[in-house]
Amino acid sequence: MTPIERAWRGTKNDWRLHALSVFSVAVAFVCLASALLVVVNVSHVRDRWSSTGRASVYLKKGAEREQIATIERALRASDGVTGVKFVSSDDARHEMTGQTDDPIIDSLPTEAFPASLEVSVQSEVAAGRLEKLAAQLGSLPAVDRVETYAAWSDRLAALLAGGVTASGLLALVVLAAVVSVVSSTIRLALQRRRIEVEVLKLVGATDDYVRRPYVVEGAVQGGLGALLAIGLLGTLFAIVESRFDSSFATLIGMTPSFLPWSVALALIVSGAALGAIAALLSVRRLLSA
Amino acid sequence: MEFGGKSRAFRSALREGSRFDPAASHRPVLTFEAVHKAYRADCPVLRGLNLEIARGEFVFITGPSGAGKSTLLRLLYAAENVDAGRILFLGREIGRLTDGSIPFLRRNIGIIFQDFKLVKNWSVLDNVALPLEVLGLPPRVIRTRVGEVLERVGLAGRGADLASVLSGGEQQRVAIARAIVGEPALLLADEPTGNLDPQLAVDILGLLEDINETGVTVLFATHDRSLLDVRPRRVVVLDEGKATDVPNGLDELNESNELNDAPELVGRRVA
Repeated sequence: MTPIERAWRGTKNDWRLHALSVFSVAVAFVCLASALLVVVNVSHVRDRWSSTGRASVYLKKGAEREQIATIERALRASDGVTGVKFVSSDDARHEMTGQTDDPIIDSLPTEAFPASLEVSVQSEVAAGRLEKLAAQLGSLPAVDRVETYAAWSDRLAALLAGGVTASGLLALVVLAAVVSVVSSTIRLALQRRRIEVEVLKLVGATDDYVRRPYVVEGAVQGGLGALLAIGLLGTLFAIVESRFDSSFATLIGMTPSFLPWSVALALIVSGAALGAIAALLSVRRLLSA
Repeated sequence: MEFGGKSRAFRSALREGSRFDPAASHRPVLTFEAVHKAYRADCPVLRGLNLEIARGEFVFITGPSGAGKSTLLRLLYAAENVDAGRILFLGREIGRLTDGSIPFLRRNIGIIFQDFKLVKNWSVLDNVALPLEVLGLPPRVIRTRVGEVLERVGLAGRGADLASVLSGGEQQRVAIARAIVGEPALLLADEPTGNLDPQLAVDILGLLEDINETGVTVLFATHDRSLLDVRPRRVVVLDEGKATDVPNGLDELNESNELNDAPELVGRRVA
C-alpha cells in the first residue's frame, strides 16, 4: 500500500477532523490571498498610470484661439508626442456629465470645466519626457497648469509598498496558522491512530514508513486549504466584479483583475509545502517521544 | 560427479563469505547473558538472567505480576534496553543495534498481546496484511499470503469483516495471524490469553503449539497456571528478579512441593 493510499485510508476514517483543518487553513489563506489581490490590483493601477504617457494641459480662462493653436503646433512638433487633442469647456462638461448621474455635476456651469489640451506621449519615454514638457508648458502665459499624473503614481507606489509590507506580515501569520493547524490535526490524528502507529512499529516499520502518510495528509490539508481559499476569494471577486462601476474603471484606467494563475499556484504549492513540513515536524517529535 | 572428464564437487549456491557462518544454524536462537534490568535502582526486575533458548522451542515464561515477564519480552523486541549484560538473537546483540536496525530486528519477531492491538476500524485483511505491506510485497502476494494465514488460524473467509465485530477469541486469532504472516523466527506472546475464557485460552495455546510445530520458536508469557499444566513444556519462572528454568513443566516442581515457597530452589537454577 502506497503512502497516498494509506493517507487516503486515514483521511476517510477521520474526515471530519481533516475537513475542519482544511477549512481553518483556508481561512488563513483567504486573508493572505485578499491582501495579494489588493497588491496585484494596486500594482496594475500604478503601472498603468506611471506608463500612461498622458498629460492634461489646462488652459487659462480667456486663452485666445491663436495661442492655443500655437501651443498645439509646438506640441505636435515635439519628440515623443504622439497626439494632441483640444477639449473645450463644453466638451469637458459633456464628458463629465455623461459619466455620472449626479445632479450637482449636472448643475455646474460650463465655466467650471477648464478647456485643455490632452497630450499623448510614447509610453517608453513617458516619465522623463513628460516632466520636462510639463515644466516648459507651465511657463506659457495661456497655460494654467499641467497635470502629468506623476503625483498619483507616487501615491500609488507608496500604497503598494504598504500593501506589500502588510502582505509580508500576513504571510507570517498564515505560516504560523498553517503550521499550528496542521500540527494540531496531525497530533490528534496520531493520537486517534495510536494503535496503528504502535503496531506498525512493532511489525518492523521504519520511522520514515510511519511518517509518510502523515506528511501526505499535511500536504493535502495545506494545499486543499489554499485551493479552497482561492476558490472562495474567486467567487467573492466575481460577485464584486459583476457590480463594478464601469465609469470608475474608466477613471482609474483599468478593470480589476484576479490573482494571476502563477500567484494562485504558488499559494497552493506553499500551502502544500507548509502542511507537509508542519506534519513532518509534528510526527517526528511525537515518534521520538 | 564426473563431467567432461573432470571431477567436480557440488558447490552450494550460497557460497561461504565473511558474513556466512554454517555453525549459526546450530546456535541458540536466543541467549541471555547476565541480563540486568531495573526501572528503579532499588527494585531490579531482572538480576543477572542467564538463559538459552534453542531454535524451535516452546517456552513458557511465568511468574507473578510484576515479575518481569513483559519486560523480558520487551527487551527482545528492543522496546527496552538492558542495563547490563547482553541478549543475543540469532547471534546478534540486540542492545547494540542502532535505531535504524531495530525495525529489521522486529521483522523477524512476531508479537502477540493480551489486548490484541488490532486497528478496530480496519478489516481483518488490512490488519493481518500490515507486516507484509511494511515489507513492500505486491498486493497480489499479500492477499494470497493473508488468505493462507487466516485459514491456518481458523478465520478463512473472514478477511472482509471489521476487526471490531469479532469476538475476543477471533480477535486474538487475527493478532496471531498478523504475528506469523511474515514468517518470523521467533514468536513472543505476552499474556495472549489474559482476556479470554479458559476454553478459548486452551484453543489459542493449541494454535500457538501448531505454529511452533512448523519450527517457529515461541515464548509464551503467562501467569495462568492452568495453561502450564495442559502439556509439559519448558517453563522459565521469574520471581524477584531471578529466573528458574524448569525443562519439563511445573509438575516437576509440584512433585517437590516447593514451587510456592521457593521456586528458585527447585529445577535448574539459571540466574
